[in-house]
This record gives sequence, structure tokens and C-alpha cells, in this order.
Amino acid sequence: MTARLDAPPPPVSASASSGAPVTTSYVPVRVMGDGTTAGSRAARRWRSARWPLAVLLLVAIVAGLAALSRPAVSSTPLAPDNAGPGGARALAQVLGDQGVTVEYVTATADAVSRARAGTTLLVTSDLNLLPEQVDALLATDADLVLLEPGYDLLEGATDLSATLGDDWSSPDALRTPECTDPDAVAAESIRSSGFGFTTTGPGSLVCFPGDDSPPDTGAYLVHEGDRRVVALDDAGLLSNARIDEDGNAALALRALGRHETLTWFVPDLLDTTSTGDPAVGAAVLPPWVAVVLVQLLVVALLAALWRGRRLGPLVTEDLPVVVRAAETTRGRGRLYRRSRSRGHAAAGLRAHSADRIASRLGLPRSAAAPALIDAIVRATHRPAEQVAHLLYGPPPADDAALLELARHLDQLESEVFHP
Amino acid sequence: MALTWRAVALAALGVVAVLVVPSYGTVLLWALVVVALCVLDVMLAASPRQVAVERRVPGSVRLTGRATSQLVVTNLTGRRLRAVVRDAWAPSAGAQANRHAVDLPPGESARLTTVLVPTRRGDRLADRVTIRSAGPLGLAARQVSLVVPGRLRVLPEFASRRHLPSRLARLREMDGRSAVQVRGEGTEFDSLREYVIGDDVRSIDWRASARRADMVVRTWRPERDRRVLLVLDTSRTSAARVGDEPRLDASIEAALLLSALAGRAGDRVELFAYDRSVRARVAGAAGPRLMPALADALAPIEPALLETDWPGLVGSVHQRLSQRALVVLLTTLDPAAVETGLLPVVGQLTAKHQVVVASVADPEVAALREARDGVAEVYDAAAAARVELERTAVRTVLSQKGVEVVEGLPEELAPRLADTYLALKAAGRL
Repeated sequence: MTARLDAPPPPVSASASSGAPVTTSYVPVRVMGDGTTAGSRAARRWRSARWPLAVLLLVAIVAGLAALSRPAVSSTPLAPDNAGPGGARALAQVLGDQGVTVEYVTATADAVSRARAGTTLLVTSDLNLLPEQVDALLATDADLVLLEPGYDLLEGATDLSATLGDDWSSPDALRTPECTDPDAVAAESIRSSGFGFTTTGPGSLVCFPGDDSPPDTGAYLVHEGDRRVVALDDAGLLSNARIDEDGNAALALRALGRHETLTWFVPDLLDTTSTGDPAVGAAVLPPWVAVVLVQLLVVALLAALWRGRRLGPLVTEDLPVVVRAAETTRGRGRLYRRSRSRGHAAAGLRAHSADRIASRLGLPRSAAAPALIDAIVRATHRPAEQVAHLLYGPPPADDAALLELARHLDQLESEVFHP
Repeated sequence: MALTWRAVALAALGVVAVLVVPSYGTVLLWALVVVALCVLDVMLAASPRQVAVERRVPGSVRLTGRATSQLVVTNLTGRRLRAVVRDAWAPSAGAQANRHAVDLPPGESARLTTVLVPTRRGDRLADRVTIRSAGPLGLAARQVSLVVPGRLRVLPEFASRRHLPSRLARLREMDGRSAVQVRGEGTEFDSLREYVIGDDVRSIDWRASARRADMVVRTWRPERDRRVLLVLDTSRTSAARVGDEPRLDASIEAALLLSALAGRAGDRVELFAYDRSVRARVAGAAGPRLMPALADALAPIEPALLETDWPGLVGSVHQRLSQRALVVLLTTLDPAAVETGLLPVVGQLTAKHQVVVASVADPEVAALREARDGVAEVYDAAAAARVELERTAVRTVLSQKGVEVVEGLPEELAPRLADTYLALKAAGRL
């Protein structure tokens, strides 16, 4: 080949280009180090990291102060750490002041494992409890205090000597004990909005009947068997909002303060444990598994550091323009389509076909319509009206007609070009 | 600071130790041992900042050709250098296998070769050289990225050179070296020779024949030493993609083929690239110096997103040319751009020079015009038909002003422009 592009141009090449110099002689440069020292690198890292570090430190300080300045509170109803109207922190604090150790649990397994003989177990609700969880609670030796219990829990705890009542007494009516239980007598009076408990056999005692209660029915139930079981049909008596009303405080303190240790169980909806054993899956694993997992975590961290360090920075490419030249044509087609300009589209197709056919048949571009039609008729032996309708007819009525017109024009062109 | 797989393996060995003594203390102790060994290894590693690096790059390579970038790495530390060296280039430089393992005793050098197969025309710049020097244990490494300047000029591919032999043959036919020698092929009187059967009788020189016993004919040859000025439009219209490359690249191919041909035909070729100012210029190069100078000047040209300053361009042409010449404008026939830019000023050029306008056609538009698959395609086809009509109209207007218009698909433009040049030359219109 005669034209060699890759030969270097001679040095006297007078072809001065305005951009980069034409010279291709290359002077190698010897580079050593990046001009930094250990000190300058440390200073640079410090300069780049100090502001993010300062922000992080500030956030940590603010978060720590916020955590310290506000005691942990919850919004769980009747929880001993809930200071809201629905909570029971007031009662728990008074109990604590009186020397009762209050242990707050939300898992059935924790409650069961803590409920030994000589302690009190408070169950604030049994709505979230599974049947086996109820059974696990009943199997404990602790004294029970039940708030608004369900059938299973109440009848299990009272050896079937009591059941839920059907008391529609007025919730505002002041009730008196009407029984011999010392706690109830000490409380003197309460108001209850519950449906009461009804005794069905010996061993259970109900107090505080309402103004409209059926016989043997009351808001407060005591069952003395292997252990003492107390049930209240209105959990709201213990809440912060109502603990100071009537004899609520006396009743609650006497019921819960009977032993040194009180297990305060607020069942959690997501809890499925039922026994005192730890989780079954972890129990069958050998004890070293957790340690090995930690070691594997260290290995994973090192592997991340190993793979995460890049061998030099990424190199960028200054990309050329990616706009296609045909974009404007496509855009024009889309405009035709959106505005349903079938007339314009058909006119374009017809004019282009006429132009091509005219040049093929040797007519000037400026040839008049009749001359072109005559020439086509001679070339294709088609009827003149048909050709005239095809090339100069009315605009198509709909999209299908436009498609049809385009195909007919193609056919006409092919007949002219390949007769 | 960088870790190697060995550090990870060492940490993984700790699992065995943890199994023997399963306590969190073992985990902590093993982690401390790994960290201490890594720190020790880093401290014992040769400093990558005391490694001298020198780069040697060939000045230029043709697109799709192969070039090699050489790095000479010299270990100036007192320690053995066990390192990985990465010779980073921009992606379009096409660096292959650019990571090199190096094991150098103190004071010695190694030559590392990276093969480059560039995929884009223009100046491809070398990026950093990264040296990762591992310690004697191979657990951890020190790393530094150095700026070692290097530039590889990637010349246009000149794929259209395959059309050159056939066009040169045509040129020789016209030139009178071949048997075909008829009047009309060129206009410059060359010599007298004896009549052979088949010669055009109109070429017989009666006066010379009268002086001799034989019949003598005049021979003609095309003009030589005409001036050909190629003007490359590098404005926004040259940036649009046609096929897989910018329109400018197809124009460059056409310019190179025409220059090679005109250079061999004995014409003086000049070129400049222009949008609002002169981007590149080649003038005064002839013979074997012409093509390398052109390739070198055209290599770094990139389309600028500007509107062409046509009056300024015409002024530059007049400044360059004092006598009649062939002016080839490699631009677009985009109707809007031509109507507002070229048309008002083209008269000043055609008044004095033979003007050829060469433009790349878009195969996509042609495909759009043929499509009949559905209603949407028909609307696109109508738009494409309208665009082609407008281009035809522009061609007609330009022709009426005395401009030769050449249009072709990217791979067709170069041979068509060459044919147009040959036709003009044969007709003596240069």
C-alpha cells in the first residue's frame, strides 16, 4: 500500500496544526514517588477527615445526651415503664418504694421461668396468648393476679370454680365489697366497667357486685387453692389515669404487694415461647458455635478489606456524543403521529414517490402532474384514474388507509423500476 | 496499605485455634496477631515511593492497530521489591493485561509491556501507574498511584484506502501512461506521438504530420499542480452519530482518500478543519509527507457543539487561495443548517472556485423510509420521505449555484467523493 499513515512525519513538516503540536518525538520522563511524605499524607488525611469526624462526634454527643436526659418510656398499655394515662408506672413505682422487686417481662418463657412459688405473677392481658402459653402460665407455682382474663385462663386458674360473668351494671356506680376478703374490705369502694366474674363452685369468692349484677357475680374474684389467684374484670383500675380513684390503689397494692417479688408480664403479640427453656434451635448447638461465628465474622471483615481496596483509581473516558442523526426524523414522525397528520404524512409519501418515479422516467423535477401521470401510464399500463388517485388523490381517512396508500405507492414504484 | 489473600487465610486459620480453645479471648488474640503481622509486613515492605518509573509510548498508532506502552521500573530501595504494577489507560486505549507482577532485587530494573489496541481516534492519555508493594510475608502491601505522563495519538483508521488502488488505476489511465489515450481526457497538451489505429482522428496534429512522413497525434494529460482545499466542518452537525461513529469520522475517511488520490495526481492538497475557528490545518505538505501530516492533524479533532461560522469559513478559504482551486466542503446537507449557513455564502465560493459539497447520508433514515410494518412505522416513513425530499431540494439548489453535491452512506462517501474528483479532473474542470 502506498499511503502509510503510521510513519512518523519528518520533523520539518511545515503543517502547523492549531491544536496539539505535531511532534511525535517523545521524551520519557522518570517519575519517582508522588511528592508526599508520611507526615504530609497524615496531615492530608486529617484535613479531609476532620469535618466528617467532627459531625459524627457531635451526633454521638447529642444522641448520648438525649438518651441520658430522657428515661426510657414505652407506650405499651399497663407497662410498668409507661408514664402515659394508659400505663402503670405510678403503681410500679409505689410498689418499688414499698420494697417489692418488679420484674417487667414480655415473653411467656421469661414470665414462666421467673414465676416461682412465693412470688406474684401479674398477667395484664391474655388476648395475645396462645393456648400452650396459657397452659405454661397455669403450670407455674406463683400467685396469680389476672386482669380481664379469658375463659381458659380464668377457669384454669380457679379449678373451674368460677367463670366469666354477664354483668351489665352501670360503670359509674360506686360498688362496695359485700364480702369478707380483707383486701376488698380495705379498698372499701371501686368502680368497674367490666362484665364481672361468677362463681360456679366452692373455693372462689367474688366481691364488689354492681347495682344490676346477677347473683354470685362481682368485679373482683379471689380463689384460694394451692396458691392465691386474684382476678379483676377491669384492667383500667391499675392505669395511671385511674389508680388514684376510689379504693383502686389500695386494692392493687394489696393484691400485687403480697410477695417480695412481682413478675409483671405484659404479653407481646410476636412472642411464641411457652417454656422456660431458651430457644430450641440454639439449645442443640454446641457452645463453641457462637465463638466460631465471631471468628468467621473477623475473617469476612478482612476479606472485605482485601477485596475492597482497588489497585489504583478508576479511569474515566470522555465519551463522544451519542445522539443519533436520525433522531430528528423519528421526532418528526412522532409529531405526525401524535397530531394525526395523515394529510401531511400522505403528501410526503406521495411527493417522494413522484420524485423518484419522475427521475426514473427521465422527467424533470418540475414536471406537471398530467405529464407524470401520462409517463407512468405508459410505463405500467395502469389506468390513468388509478395512478392519479394514488399520487394526487384525497388524503387518507384513517391510519389503515394511510398504510394501504404507502403499500400501493411501493407497488407502483416497483412496477416503474422493474417493469 | 492493602491486604492480600494471605491475611484472610491467616485469619481463617484462626477458626482452628478457636475450635481448640473456644473462647472470645482466642478470637481477640488471633485478631491481634493478624493485625500485628500485617503491620510488621507493611513496615518491612519496600517503599513504592522509592521506585522510579519511566514510560515509553510510541508517538502514534493507526486505529485498530497495536501499540505497546513500556514501563521501566527501577527499584531504588534497599529492599527486595515484590509488587504488582498496574499501567492504567483510558478504556478506549484498549489496554490488555495491564497488571504486571514484579520481583526486583535492590537497584535492578524491569521492563513491563502493556499492549494497547485503541478503539477510538484521538489522543489517548495514560492514567496513573499504581504500585502495590507487598512485604516479605505477603500479608499486606503498601500502595501508591503515580502520575507518569504518556500520550498515544490514535490516527484515523483510513479504512477507505482499499478504494485507492482502483482510483489510482483510473488516474493512470487518464494520465496517458496506459494505452487508452483519447482527446478529452484532460486538457493539458502533453506530447506528440505516432498515430496508431484507434486513436481519435480529431487528435491528429496536421501541421506536425505535414513535417514528417508519419501521422502524428497530440496527446493530452490532466492538469497537474492544481490546488485542492478540503474543509472539514467540525460543528455540531458533525457530532451526530451515523451508524456507530460520529459523522465527522466518515468525513475524515473521505478526506483522507481524496487527499491520497489528489496527492498522487500531482495536485497540491491543503486541509483545514473549521467551526468557529480553525481547529486543524495542513498546508504545504506534499509527496510522502502529506498523508502522515494529514493523519496527525486529523487525529485529535473532535466535534464542537457550536454552529459553523460560514462567513468566517469562506473568509479563511479566500485567505488561503489566490487562484482557482477545488474546494471540497465536508459538511452536512441538513436542510435547516444549509439554508441558514451555507446557502447565503456559497455564491462567493463558486464565483472563484469549483466547489464540491460532500455529506454523509444516514442509513437509518433510509431504513425508516422503507419500513411498512405498522401505522407508527408509516408515519416515520412519511417523515423520512419528507426529509429526503428536503435534502433533494437542497441538492438541487446547490447544483443550480454550481456546486457539485456528493452524498453517500458512511462507507460509500469516500469512494464517491474520489470518483467525483476524478470526473472533474477528467473533464478539466479543476
